[in-house]
Amino acid sequence: MLRYIVKRIIWMIPFLFGISLVSFLLIQAPPGDYLTTYIATLAESNEVLSQEAIDNLRERFGLDQPLLVQYFKWIGNIVQGDFGMSFEWRQPVSDLIWERMALTLLLSFATLLFTWAVAFPIGVYSAVRKYSVGDYVATFVGFIGLATPNFLLALILMYIGVVYFGSSVGGLFSPEYQNAPWSMAKFLDLLSHLWLPVIVLGTSATASLIRIMRANLLDELDKPYVDTARAKGLSEFWLIVKYPVRVALNPFISTIGWVLPSLVSGAVITAIVLSLPTAGPLMLSALKSQDMYLAGAFVLLLSSLTVVGMLLSDILLVLMDPRVKYD
Amino acid sequence: MKHVGRLARTSAVALLCSTTALFAMDFSEAPMLTEMVEAGQLPPVEERLPANPEVITPIESVGVYGGTIRRALGGSNDHNSILRFVGPQGLVRWNPEFTAVVPNVAEAWEVNEDATEFTFTLREGMKWSDGEPFTADDVMFFVEDLLNNEEFYPNAPARFAIEGERMQAEKIDDTTVRFTFAGPYGTFMNELATPLAQEPVIWAKHYCQQFHPTYNPNVQDLVDATEAVEDWAALFRLRCGEVEAPNRWSNPDRPTLDPWVVTEQAYTAGATQVVMERNPYFWQVDTEGNQLPYIDVFNNIVSQDNQALLLEAIAGNIDLQRRRLDGLADRPVIAENRDAGGYEFYNLTPSASNDMAIHLNMTHKDPDMRAAINDRSVREALSIAIDREEIIDIVYQGVGEPWQIGAVPEHPLYNEQLGRQHTEYDPDRANELLDAAGLDQRDGEGFRLLPNGERFAFNVNYSAETTRWGDALEIIREQWQEIGVDVTSSGVERSIYYSRGEANEHDFMVWTAPGGLDPTLSPRNVMAVHPQASWFAIPWTRWYLSGGTEGEEPPASMQRRYELFEEYKATGDPARQQELFAQIHQIAADEFEVIGITKAPQMTGVKNTRLRNVPGAMPASWMYPDPAPTLPQTYFFAPE
Repeated sequence: MLRYIVKRIIWMIPFLFGISLVSFLLIQAPPGDYLTTYIATLAESNEVLSQEAIDNLRERFGLDQPLLVQYFKWIGNIVQGDFGMSFEWRQPVSDLIWERMALTLLLSFATLLFTWAVAFPIGVYSAVRKYSVGDYVATFVGFIGLATPNFLLALILMYIGVVYFGSSVGGLFSPEYQNAPWSMAKFLDLLSHLWLPVIVLGTSATASLIRIMRANLLDELDKPYVDTARAKGLSEFWLIVKYPVRVALNPFISTIGWVLPSLVSGAVITAIVLSLPTAGPLMLSALKSQDMYLAGAFVLLLSSLTVVGMLLSDILLVLMDPRVKYD
Repeated sequence: MKHVGRLARTSAVALLCSTTALFAMDFSEAPMLTEMVEAGQLPPVEERLPANPEVITPIESVGVYGGTIRRALGGSNDHNSILRFVGPQGLVRWNPEFTAVVPNVAEAWEVNEDATEFTFTLREGMKWSDGEPFTADDVMFFVEDLLNNEEFYPNAPARFAIEGERMQAEKIDDTTVRFTFAGPYGTFMNELATPLAQEPVIWAKHYCQQFHPTYNPNVQDLVDATEAVEDWAALFRLRCGEVEAPNRWSNPDRPTLDPWVVTEQAYTAGATQVVMERNPYFWQVDTEGNQLPYIDVFNNIVSQDNQALLLEAIAGNIDLQRRRLDGLADRPVIAENRDAGGYEFYNLTPSASNDMAIHLNMTHKDPDMRAAINDRSVREALSIAIDREEIIDIVYQGVGEPWQIGAVPEHPLYNEQLGRQHTEYDPDRANELLDAAGLDQRDGEGFRLLPNGERFAFNVNYSAETTRWGDALEIIREQWQEIGVDVTSSGVERSIYYSRGEANEHDFMVWTAPGGLDPTLSPRNVMAVHPQASWFAIPWTRWYLSGGTEGEEPPASMQRRYELFEEYKATGDPARQQELFAQIHQIAADEFEVIGITKAPQMTGVKNTRLRNVPGAMPASWMYPDPAPTLPQTYFFAPE
C-alpha cells in the first residue's frame, strides 16, 4: 500500500509539469495577449494608450519574449515559490490566490458534506422503499434541484432576501468582517453566510448522487449475498448498511477528486452572482483578460489538488471496497 | 479652454480663479476629527489646512458632516470607478460644465507666449494625507526621478513629451514649479485636466523615495525581499501605485491628496469591499470654512455580476452610481423600485457622439472591396439604406436620434453636415447610387457583384459583450438586402475583435464614437490617429504615428487633417485652435468615412434621494470622469 502511494506521488511530478505546460500554452492560445485586452478595456472608456506606454508595459511584463521562454521563467520561479505578478491586479499572484483557494476548499468541503448528508440517506431510502410515496417525493425534489440552474436559484434566493428580508446580497462575510483578520468571530460569521452557497451549489449534486445511490443500491439489493445475510438473521438495517451500501458507496468516493475542479469551474457563475470570494470568479477574469500568471497559478493549483483528490479517492476505495485491488 | 487661452494671449498673468484668499476665515471640521484633535492624535484644523485652502461654493447648500456613501465596483479592472469618485486630484481639473480647465492642486498657473513653459503655483502649507508637507519637491520628484528616468519609463510617455523629448522642470521656490517642453504644447492644460495626467502630484516624495535607488541605496534589498518583484521600478509601482492600475488603491500607507484615503480594506483581488475614510488633511473648504469632505466614509462593494448589482441598487444599497446601471434594459426595473429603494434618477449627457459607428475599412486588403468602399457615393448609399428610426425603435427602445458623428449641437464645434448628412432613409436613391457606381451586376440571389465577380458582402464581427450591436446588425442586414448588399455578423470575444482590427483583417468594425462633448480630446473618427480605434484606416494611423516609416501613406485629405492637427496641438490660442479643428471637421464631413446609427442616448444613474449637492445632470465621459469634476467631496446626506 505504502509503496503504491509513494509510486503514485512520484508519478505526479512529471504529470504536473505536463499539465502546467499544456495549460500555459492553452492560456496563450487565443490571439493577442494581456495588453490587447488591456488596450480594449481602456479604449472602451475612450482612453488612448500611446504606443510608448504599450511598449513600456510589454517590456515590463516580459510579453516581448518567446512563449517558451516565458513559460520556463514562470515555472522556474514557481519551483522557488514565486508565482509571479498578476498583470491585471499588478500584485504578486501569491497575495491573490491563497485566501481564495482556502475559501474555495472550505466551500467545497462544506458542499460535499451537505451533499452526502442529504443524498446518502435519501438515496438509501428510495432504493429500499422503491416506488413508495417517499421515493417519488424525494425523486421529484431531487429532479427540481438538478433541473434548476444554480445561478438562477442563487438569484431567486437573493431576490427573496432583498425584497422580503431586506438583507444584503451575496458574499461570505458581513461587511465588518470582510477584510478583517481571521478570528473566531469572523469564522462564526462565515458559517452564518456559508449555508446559502452550500445549498445553492449542493442541490444539483445532491440530486444526481441520490439517483446514483438509488440505482447502485437497487443492483446490490437483489444479489445472493444479501439474501444470504438476511437468511442468517441479520437485522434489516445492519444488513443494508454493512454490505450493499458499502458497495454502492463507490461512486461517492471515486468522485472526491472531481469535487474541487467541478466546483471551481462549474460554479463560477454562481460564485459571481453571489459575490463569493472564491477562486472561480478570479480565475475567470484572469482567463478573460489573459492574465497568464494568475490564470496559470490557478490552473496549476487546481490540477494539483485534483491529482491529490484522485489519490485520496483511490486510497479510500481500496479501504472501502473489497473488490478493488491496487497492484 | 477659454481660460487657458486668455492666459496664453495676455501671457504671464497669475490667476486665482475660483479661489480667493479668506484670511480671516474660521475653519471647522468633522466631529470625528474634532475628537481626534482633542485626544491629541491630530493637530487643529487650522494647522492641517493650507494657508490658502480652495474655497468651494456648494451648488445647493453648505452641508452637514457624517455618513457613508455606498457605490459598487466590478470584480477586477474597475479601479477607475474609485478614481471617478475620489477624483483625479491633479494640478488642474475640469469645471463642472466640462467647458474649461480650472485650478485644483495648483492655485494658479501661467503659460508663456509660445506654450512651451508652464509655471504652476502650489498652495502654501498644503499637506499629504499623512500630515507631511506637499511642496514643489514632490512635483520635482516626479519629473526628475521618474519621468526622466529611463529605468522607470523606458519610452517617453506621450502626455509629458513633445517630439519625443521629455518634459523638464525647474523648482522656482517651495510653491512654484515650471515645466518646460522642447516645442509648443498648446493642449497641455487640457491634457492635465484629463484623469490620467495626475502623475505630477500622485507620488509623495517623503514616502515613495524609499523605493527609489537615488534616495535609498539599499533598495535592492527591498526588491529581493518582495515576491514577484524584479527591479526597483516594479517595487515602486507596487507600493506607491500607478495612475492607471488597481494597486493605486491597494496600499493604505501611501499618502495622497484625495478627499478620502484607502483603509486596511483596500482594493486587492480578494477584496469584497473597499473602504475609504476622510482625509484629515484635505485642502478644500466650503464657503463657511468647513473642511471638506462632508461624508465620513466612502464604501465600495465589489459585485462581479450586473444582475446582483442591480439587486443591490433596487434594495437601496447604492447611493450614487451610473456605471453598470445605465443600460437601457435595466431602466424599467430601476424606475419601478424607486420609492422602495429610496433613490431617484439623475441624468447624464454622454460625451460620445454616436453609440454605434460603422467603420468601413478604407484600407481593405482586397483591392475590389477597397475600391468600392473608397467610393464616396457607395458609402452614401450604404448610409441612406439604413432605416435608423427602425433600429432606434427596436434596439434602443426609442431613445436616440439618427446621427452620424461629430460634436453635439450644443458644442461650439458642432458641424451639421458631419452630424446629419445622409441619415434620411432612401433605399431607392441608394440603389441608383450603387448602380451608378458600377456595382450593377447581381448574382442569382439578387446580391450585387464586385467587378471581380465576387458578391459585395461584408463579414463582420462585433464585440459579443455588446449585444445591442448584434441586434442592430441583424436589422441592417435585412435593410441592406433591399439594396443587394450582404452582411453576415457574429459576436466574438473582445480581444479577438481587437486583434482582427489591428491586423487590418476586417470589412468593417462597430464601436461607439467619442467626440460628442469632447471632439478635440477624442478625434479618432475624424482622423486616423488612434492605433486601436481608428478602425476605418489602421494602416494610415500607423503611417501617421510612425512618421511615415510604417503603414500606408494616406490620401491628401487625411494628410491635410494631420497638418491641421499638428498646428492645433502647437498653438495656445483657443480661437485659432477652434478654427483649426472646425476645418478638420469640415474635411471629415466632406470625406464621410464613418457611418453612424444613433446619437448616444441619454443615460441615467441612481442617486439616494437624501444625497445633496449632486447636479441633476452632468456629462458622462472618461475624459470628464463623472462625477469627480462635480466635486463629490461636497455631497452630503440631508438629515432624515
